[in-house]
Amino acid sequence: MSSLSAKADTAAQPSRKVNPFWFRIRQSPLTLFGLFLLVMLLLLSVCAPLISPHDPTKINIPERFSPPSAAHWFGTDEVGRDIFTRILYGARLSLGVGVAVVLSAGLVGTVIGAISGYFGGRVDQIIMRMMDIVLAFPSLVLAMAVAAVLGPNLQNAMLAIAIIKIPVYVRLARAETLALREKLYVKAAVTFGIKPWRIITRHIIPNAVSPVIIQVTLDIGDAILLVATLGFLGLGAQPPTPEWGAMISIGWKYLLDYWWYPTFPGLALFLASCGFNLIGDGIRDILDPKANR
Amino acid sequence: MKQIILKRLAMLVLVLLGVTLITFFLSHVIPGDPARMMVGQRASEETLQEVRRQLGLDQPVWVQYLTYMKGLFAGDFGTSIRTQQPVVHDLIAFFPATLELAITAFIIAIAIGIPLGVLSAVKKDTGWDHSSRFFSIAGISTPVFWSGLVGILIFYKFLGALPSSGRLDLTVPAPTKITGLYLFDSLLTGNWAAFKNSLWHLILPAFTLAFAQLAIVTRQVRSSMLEVLGQDYIRTALANGIHGPVLLIRYALRNALIPTITVVGLSFGSLLGGAVVTETIFSWPGMGKYVVDSIAFLDFPAMMGFTFVISFGYVVINLLVDLTYYVLDPQIKE
Repeated sequence: MSSLSAKADTAAQPSRKVNPFWFRIRQSPLTLFGLFLLVMLLLLSVCAPLISPHDPTKINIPERFSPPSAAHWFGTDEVGRDIFTRILYGARLSLGVGVAVVLSAGLVGTVIGAISGYFGGRVDQIIMRMMDIVLAFPSLVLAMAVAAVLGPNLQNAMLAIAIIKIPVYVRLARAETLALREKLYVKAAVTFGIKPWRIITRHIIPNAVSPVIIQVTLDIGDAILLVATLGFLGLGAQPPTPEWGAMISIGWKYLLDYWWYPTFPGLALFLASCGFNLIGDGIRDILDPKANR
Repeated sequence: MKQIILKRLAMLVLVLLGVTLITFFLSHVIPGDPARMMVGQRASEETLQEVRRQLGLDQPVWVQYLTYMKGLFAGDFGTSIRTQQPVVHDLIAFFPATLELAITAFIIAIAIGIPLGVLSAVKKDTGWDHSSRFFSIAGISTPVFWSGLVGILIFYKFLGALPSSGRLDLTVPAPTKITGLYLFDSLLTGNWAAFKNSLWHLILPAFTLAFAQLAIVTRQVRSSMLEVLGQDYIRTALANGIHGPVLLIRYALRNALIPTITVVGLSFGSLLGGAVVTETIFSWPGMGKYVVDSIAFLDFPAMMGFTFVISFGYVVINLLVDLTYYVLDPQIKE
């Protein structure tokens, strides 16, 4: 069997096998650029100790507010910490937090959406009205309110952002489930007396996951910005954590005298978010050619 | 049609009730003990109990919720811990500044976003299209607070062309209050000095706020234009010798704008929310700056009042957008 298919492959494509997904990505320069940005940021953050000789939290008062130079590429902050080093370490935090928040919102939302769509009726009504209510808030405003009430720290900011992101996934997964519920294999599973939770986890969710993945890649950039925005408003990571939003939150007060302080963390934030958005856009074009084109 | 409106109104009531439930839950249930927060850690047990009774905290939760709802209906959002004023007075005082900023940003986003989207669709897959696509992704990827800071750096610090904070210079007296929107009031009273000065102060914050929405509008117009341009009636029009601006505007854009309205309407809602950050950066004396200032004081009445008002506005805007949609698109007639 395998030798047969291998033969068929060589007959159809004499040179080498082309993966259509990678082929499409290579065709789109903007998506490639996004990928490049992210890989660079990831490498820089992972190799931070190798790249920079400085400590991200070490205070060095004599060198406070040094402008960008060979020793401090992006200058230093109000207590003499190297801003470049802090951005590198901050990348671990911002990228990690963005991905973690969206993945957990995606997971929880998909499960709720699948339950809502599968059972229908009153369960569906109640869940969907609850989601409508969460969606009735402008996202930043609700995230601010939740984070402020829970207490300003990074975990609560993450929780707040996950809460506002969940409804989108519920809606997506529910819509998919409604279609999947009518499929023959699901009906067959019901006839065989398989328990609902097993049908949901084994048959519905694995098949409903593709639009969720598109949404996840599109959402990560936004989540990174939201985490930083809460940090900027004093509702996220607290100083001296090298989180980009928290750095800008202190740095912008010094903008007019020491322009480099808030400017470089902001640039890093922009590049990270841009990278995810370019990739998300590219993946959507590939997986869902009807949308946007 | 009537049924749709009634159904949507019923939904509106339900969603608003839900909004009040959430703000009540956030302000009364989660924060632990508001009475303790008011009297401080050193107060005696009796004082604490007394304050609890005054605040109604000794009542069951549902009674507290009803009291809270009664207050909301009477426009009572509580007293701000920071300003010691009724929250509703504060919000009314700060609202016009936010509205002026949001409206200006909205106009900018539409005035630039629609032509840019059309251009991008007409010149699909050319340099124009690629740069417009990059521009829209850059727009949604830029943190509002950062674009504001860069704007201040370039236009205030380096070029000295635009002011960086406030609604007016200190030397310019505010126009006589009619609506609270300085541009409008100064026009109505013929106060040209105030008009020019407030316009000057608006440019930087409004463009900062508009940037992200501009990107979203451009993207939406582009994709719906592309869809419309592929329709048969456009080909028929082309075959009949209709082309250029007439084809684009009268035949294509009019239809492409229908889905755009949804996005644009929602974007006005996010403008109200996005104003929080913009107002902080530009010291713009609106509701957003008010709420950010109250965060530091853990001023929950102020924060929840703001959250409620903004969400209320957002829900109503969504409803209006949906209804416009039904009116404009004759194909949707359930």
